[in-house]
Amino acid sequence: MEGFLINVLNGLSWGMLLFLISMGLTTVFGVMGVLNFAHGSLFMLGAYISMQLTRWISSFWLGLIFAPIIVAILAIIIERFLLRPVYGRDVSFQLLLTFGVMLFLDDGVRLIWGPAHHLVNPPDVLSGVFPIFDQTYPVYRLFLIAMGPAIGIILWAFFSYSRYGKIIRAAAMDREMAEIIGVRAPILFTAVFAFGAWLAGLGGALAAPHQSVGPAIGEHIIIESFIVVVIGGMGSFPGAFVGALILGLLGSFGATMAPNFQMALPYILLAIVLLTRPRGIFGEES
Amino acid sequence: MVGLFSKNFFVGFLVLILMALAPFFVTTHWVIILTEIIIMSLFAMSFNLLFGYTGLLSFGQAGFFGVGAYVSALTLTHLSSSFWVCLPVGIVGAMLFALVIGWFCVRLDEIYFAILTLGFGMMLFTLAHNWLSVTGGSDGLTIASMPVLSIFGHKIELFNPKFFYWVSLTVVSLGIIFLRQIVKSPFGLLLTATRENSQRVSFVGQNVRTVRLVAFTIAGSLAGMAGVLFALFNRIASPEMLHWSFSGKAVLMTILGGSSVFLGPAVGTAVFFVLEHFITSYTTNWMIFLGAILVILVLAFPQGVLGTLATFFSKLNGGRNSD
Amino acid sequence: MKKVWSILVTLAFLAFSIGASAVMAADGPVKLGFVYIMSGPFATYGQFAKQGAELAIEEINKAGGINGKKIEAFFEDSAGKPDVGIRVIRKLVYENGVDAVIGLDSSGVASAVAPIMKELKTPLIITHAATPDVTGKNCNRYTFRISLNENQNMKMAAAIAADMKAKTWTTIGPDYSFGHQSWEYFEKYLKEKKPEMGFLPVSEVAFAPMKTTDFSAYITKVMNSKADGVLVSLWGGNLIDFVRQASDMGFFDGKREVLLTLGAATEVLYALKDKMPEGIWVGTRYWFAGNDSPENKSFVDAYKAKYDTYPSYNAHGAYAAIKAFAAAASKAKSSDKEKVVDALTGLSITLPVGKVTIRPEDHQAITDGIWGKTAADPAYPIRVLKPVKNFTGAEITPPVAETGCKME
Repeated sequence: MEGFLINVLNGLSWGMLLFLISMGLTTVFGVMGVLNFAHGSLFMLGAYISMQLTRWISSFWLGLIFAPIIVAILAIIIERFLLRPVYGRDVSFQLLLTFGVMLFLDDGVRLIWGPAHHLVNPPDVLSGVFPIFDQTYPVYRLFLIAMGPAIGIILWAFFSYSRYGKIIRAAAMDREMAEIIGVRAPILFTAVFAFGAWLAGLGGALAAPHQSVGPAIGEHIIIESFIVVVIGGMGSFPGAFVGALILGLLGSFGATMAPNFQMALPYILLAIVLLTRPRGIFGEES
Repeated sequence: MVGLFSKNFFVGFLVLILMALAPFFVTTHWVIILTEIIIMSLFAMSFNLLFGYTGLLSFGQAGFFGVGAYVSALTLTHLSSSFWVCLPVGIVGAMLFALVIGWFCVRLDEIYFAILTLGFGMMLFTLAHNWLSVTGGSDGLTIASMPVLSIFGHKIELFNPKFFYWVSLTVVSLGIIFLRQIVKSPFGLLLTATRENSQRVSFVGQNVRTVRLVAFTIAGSLAGMAGVLFALFNRIASPEMLHWSFSGKAVLMTILGGSSVFLGPAVGTAVFFVLEHFITSYTTNWMIFLGAILVILVLAFPQGVLGTLATFFSKLNGGRNSD
Repeated sequence: MKKVWSILVTLAFLAFSIGASAVMAADGPVKLGFVYIMSGPFATYGQFAKQGAELAIEEINKAGGINGKKIEAFFEDSAGKPDVGIRVIRKLVYENGVDAVIGLDSSGVASAVAPIMKELKTPLIITHAATPDVTGKNCNRYTFRISLNENQNMKMAAAIAADMKAKTWTTIGPDYSFGHQSWEYFEKYLKEKKPEMGFLPVSEVAFAPMKTTDFSAYITKVMNSKADGVLVSLWGGNLIDFVRQASDMGFFDGKREVLLTLGAATEVLYALKDKMPEGIWVGTRYWFAGNDSPENKSFVDAYKAKYDTYPSYNAHGAYAAIKAFAAAASKAKSSDKEKVVDALTGLSITLPVGKVTIRPEDHQAITDGIWGKTAADPAYPIRVLKPVKNFTGAEITPPVAETGCKME
């Protein structure tokens, strides 16, 4: 029982991190139809920038606020100058472009910060541990578990009730119709891409105190969030939430119960979902 | 048409002769680089049968490449030391896997097909990585002694880089000629038709899934063929050869060269390795260059190196000879 | 289409001219090729190794070189992938014409590369990769290892574990050969010493894929098992993430004995600083404060002066391999590959780590090993080892018969 509960906590904390990243990925895909390979690099950049800011101004919170903004600004440049010219083209070119951006950013980060791993301390208020059963559990992980749904609800409210949120949803559903009623797609796309990057950067900044900041930290999480987005249904927030939960728990319980298959579990799940519900659990069947 | 064919045939023959003579003019190191280029060319071209001709973006092609590599390594260890056994067994192994996995994958298309193939490829990767007793786990299967290749009683020493180059060139050329026959055949036209308009193909009474499955299986078998050569080339079959990032390499090289031209992927492969060779001599930050090159290519030369050159020359010629 | 062909022909000609222009210098400097992981999560190891190598080369070149020839170095990135490792080693040998290859971090790369050295007929000195096979069942004339291997490290771990309170052992390791083999050898050697010791079956121990960044599930699995001793064979970035997360989860609360088999890598200690718990047994291949010999003092001082950091075992490995190569080449009075191989076989040399002998039967270095307990020391920015436990090379090295090596 103890193991079970702690496994749930482990799975939730990883799952919520996945959720934050997947939300950005799924929004960008839903509205723009672009599967962004560089999303993991933006996550990594968020972690590195927040690490750097935390060192300079020694405040985790300011790092958490500014790092995602810096990542979003970079994303605006990427969208405006690189992505925009390929919108009309085949999906594979967009994939390839974001793949190139990913390689560039990953190696660029190594060029700037070197190959060493860096640690970021959580702020004092979150750095404690609390006793649970006969062990301790970090408060920061509970903070992550709470942050996932909190940000999810804020975004859900934004998309459901605010004017801009509704426009984005309308555009996601029918791009041409949105343009007819006067939504300017180019600006909308830039905003959506920046928003997705902001979420990735936020995920990175939140992940920094949870794991070390080093090269290739985005590699593992980006593949898992791809899977989350696909099994949840591309463009679906509830789908991303459920997918992230499933994958998080699959990771923690898989490690305990099926050590030999654990690496394959996410992919097996992916195949099963795609073959039974090709548009994902929450996706609209075409 | 006939004239064009014979010209093509002539020039193709010339290139082949030139390639065959290459080892007499270049250093051993370049023989090795050329060997890797021709093996990987076949891999990229097998991928392009799906991508360029059928319109299916596969991220699991390395899975079949790897199956070819592992099956041939296993054959060499347990079954037979003959090249004539290990090559066909490797190809058939890859073919069977492609047939089964393809049966599932062709149900989906576009991005969903890409992701599903990635999923299956990674399952194969896990199998190779974790099935310690058969695949040797993460260390892979070392090929202790090279297979025996005898032609009319002459034994050919495969560990000699030059001989291995010639054998690879022969095998890869056969593979490419086979591919050429496929894409020029009525079946090849059908493939292109499913890419352009899959509904119309079903209207004329062809089952799109079956057509795609056949293409998937052929592509998988040819990837397996390249995998057999690659395992022999490196004296090892290792799990990395099945990883999705290895599949990504095929995608990359294909688009680098141009997916709309038959030999585009092969030129892309050559460009990729030659660039890598020179850039890594100066810096360890090869990836930053590759990333930048990719971005520039996608933005400025979306048809790839060979595609762009071909268009350029056909424009010079006033649009003639656009094949 | 015709034009496409003519482009191809042009490209092919271009390739020829490039290839033909690469000429090899017949009589120049001594050329050494280095293959380390320079990118990805383990890239710090490559960075330290490169520093160690550059220091050794500077020292030797300043003193007049090897047999009067200066050393020229070529560095390549293996990316930790076997096919890349093979490609760059072939490049080093065939294009750069190196006289020896030094390096290798990953056991997977080492296993793939060692058989190739037979064909390349070039000496390879492994400085980090620990798989027993390359000096065991896959040993060959051209492959040497200057660093401790897994068996030696696990013999020490078992000796320390034998004196501990723990009765049942488990492991957390990377999910690839290195992690699995470490556990196997640990079990084997500890059972030899204490047959009554218990070990969890493989299904209950924890192996984490190398890409893992969240180790909580594995930590929980081990903490909830009935084991009271844990062998941790994670290394590099994995170990940094693990230690950090394990501390928070109360893993190091004193209820279990912990052995970090590669915990005394300065790459890890510099990243963790005071986040590395005190009083934990950690292993290494070399420790900068391990002995007071003049060789060690001069190495550490020079390294510290040049790079403002203490040398890691990987820095030492690269440094040591160059010194060993230089010793062999001057013994052979030539940098001819076959002669150097003969001279390396059975070579004895005093290096910063101590006296090192390359066993002729399997080409494995016999050298003293060291483990220690982590401790805080205000004189150092990182955790240091206090006390240290030294082992002689003879007691930790399995006999040749056990290695499975048949040198042809």
